[in-house]
Amino acid sequence: MATKALEVPPQPYTGEKARLTRAYDYLILVLALFLFIGIFHLHMMLTVGDWDFWQDWKDRQWWPLVTPLMMITFPAAVQAVLWSNFRLPMGATLCISCLLIGAWIARYFSYHLWNYFPINEVMPATMLPSALVLDAVLMLTNSVTVTSIVGGMAFALLFYPSNWPIFGMFHVPVEYNGAQLTIADLFGFQYIRASMPEYLRIIERGALRTYGQYATPLSAFCSAFLCTLMYPLWWYMGKAFATTKYVKNI
Amino acid sequence: MTKTMMHLLGIFCLGLFGLTFAPNAVYAHGEKSLEPFIRMRTIQWYDVRWSQDKPRVNDELVITGKFHVAEDWPRAVPKPDASYLNVSSPGPVFVRTERYVNGQATAGSAALKLGGDYDFKIVLKARLPGRYHIHPFFNLHDAGAVMGPGHWIEVTGVPAAFTNPVKTLNGDVIDMETYGLANGIGWHAFWFALAAAWLLWWVRRPLFIPRNKMLQSGQGDALVTPLDRAIAAGILVVVPLVVFGAQAMTDSQYLNTIPLQTALDQIEPLAPVVNTGLVQVKVQRAEYDVPSRSMTIVTQIRNSSDQPVQIREFASGNVRFINLASHQANQDANQGIDDDTLVAPQGLSIDSPAPIKAGESRIVRLTGTDALWATQRLDGLIRDTDSRLGGLLFLIDATSNRYIASISSAVIPKFD
Ligand SMILES: [Cu+2]
Repeated sequence: MATKALEVPPQPYTGEKARLTRAYDYLILVLALFLFIGIFHLHMMLTVGDWDFWQDWKDRQWWPLVTPLMMITFPAAVQAVLWSNFRLPMGATLCISCLLIGAWIARYFSYHLWNYFPINEVMPATMLPSALVLDAVLMLTNSVTVTSIVGGMAFALLFYPSNWPIFGMFHVPVEYNGAQLTIADLFGFQYIRASMPEYLRIIERGALRTYGQYATPLSAFCSAFLCTLMYPLWWYMGKAFATTKYVKNI
Repeated sequence: MTKTMMHLLGIFCLGLFGLTFAPNAVYAHGEKSLEPFIRMRTIQWYDVRWSQDKPRVNDELVITGKFHVAEDWPRAVPKPDASYLNVSSPGPVFVRTERYVNGQATAGSAALKLGGDYDFKIVLKARLPGRYHIHPFFNLHDAGAVMGPGHWIEVTGVPAAFTNPVKTLNGDVIDMETYGLANGIGWHAFWFALAAAWLLWWVRRPLFIPRNKMLQSGQGDALVTPLDRAIAAGILVVVPLVVFGAQAMTDSQYLNTIPLQTALDQIEPLAPVVNTGLVQVKVQRAEYDVPSRSMTIVTQIRNSSDQPVQIREFASGNVRFINLASHQANQDANQGIDDDTLVAPQGLSIDSPAPIKAGESRIVRLTGTDALWATQRLDGLIRDTDSRLGGLLFLIDATSNRYIASISSAVIPKFD
């Protein structure tokens, strides 16, 4: 039974052809791994940046708004390539896994070993549950429109709850000289960061107000709406660049 | 020929290496990076002291000091509406356990008032062994880091000995160094495992060329099997269930969580310490002689106190020119002077050194000559957009009462 489940559909190639195409698979996979670790991580550092770097930036309003919006980008583009051309529903999971590998390497080597921050202060957020759902929605619907709307919304809405089990405990209050702080805030105060003064944090600033004191659901839905637009945008970017027309002279 | 060239190249490289790693190389971490007019005319530090030089891991190091917020705040620098009293160190080699400004505990940012006087106390706890140049400094919003004086601190001991216990509001004592780490890694590992399973589920099959070929030939539907669809449907059910279940569990485990806190602390300045009016100082002219690296300041000093006063020191941008003739001038410890202090050895020369009598008004010419103007890059002032000098002038009377004036003036350069 178990072996039957693992059987693959009938293949067009056998023998030497199958061996060569398989070698090509591994070549592409290894390249993709390093490429996405590099560029998606760079994209994340430049767009989400401090929101993902520090405990005391992971607020209830801007963090769940900005992170999914910026993190649905590469998954959409890579899904466009892998699904349209190969019927492989793993673009989002692949991108986010690569991103997290890069993020963990950076947090461990450069934040912890090189700059001495305790790792718990600089833990990255996870988007893997969102990515798995996005891949599954695309596969089951085979539709960019439905994936944009349902998948994009799910991607954003799952972000905060899937990270709350990791970061919730850093929101336990402590008393600091007559005022309450979260443990996350205390990290920011205690562990000296010369170039990251407290006032740079964006905590409930701007026109995005809490409504009836519900900040996170509002942000999450705002992010969900924006993700439904961001998804097709990056899908078509992925499509536009997944072509050989730029290299036909080679 | 080539050999000579190689030797020359080798010598050149050695020279470069020597220049780069010379023992008195600049320990640059931003002390001199800002324009001189910002370092001289925003936060004016004085009386900065360190409680010890050689703490062991877990020992306390207390930095105390005072600062005056210059009245002549540069036009080019935003007003200090959000500023953060920080400590310059190579990362969190210390943790900051307490911080007070004017006796008031503060963990956030604060607004400062122009012309205000403040004192501060920062309590640090040594975390990592090593030798560090530690400064108090201010992050000024949209302006940069205005450094206070620096001091070499040598932390001894072993890093593993460091602990940072904190008591939460519900009474639990946690160690900040490890809190939540295992839990976080656990969740990441769990989702990684799931993601890896999903990726492997697909990667184990022949991928790109065969799948593309099948898709092109209209057999695309065979590429996704009923079992694949069942698993995907399972993901759509199980993943949200786990996510929302774990969220609910976290909520029930940590009942009282609060959002990140942010506040702008309101800290009133002290009763005036600088520019109290008892001894008034007006600058009539300031000249900087570039070749001799010498600043001459012509001041009009009016002593409205009831004691004769003497000029003791002029300090600007953490460089200190001390009137070596003033009594007590050599009591270095009393003035917080040590090996790390930027003191001009020739001091401050004064054209009329006799004490200024009570009620007297006198024109005094002060000259501070030292290479520190150049090495601390304060002489860049004359080529700045706002080439005004600022600093603190300290005067004392016979009973050691101190009068401080924050002075400022345009500077006229003498290029040769
Ligand atoms: Cu320094």
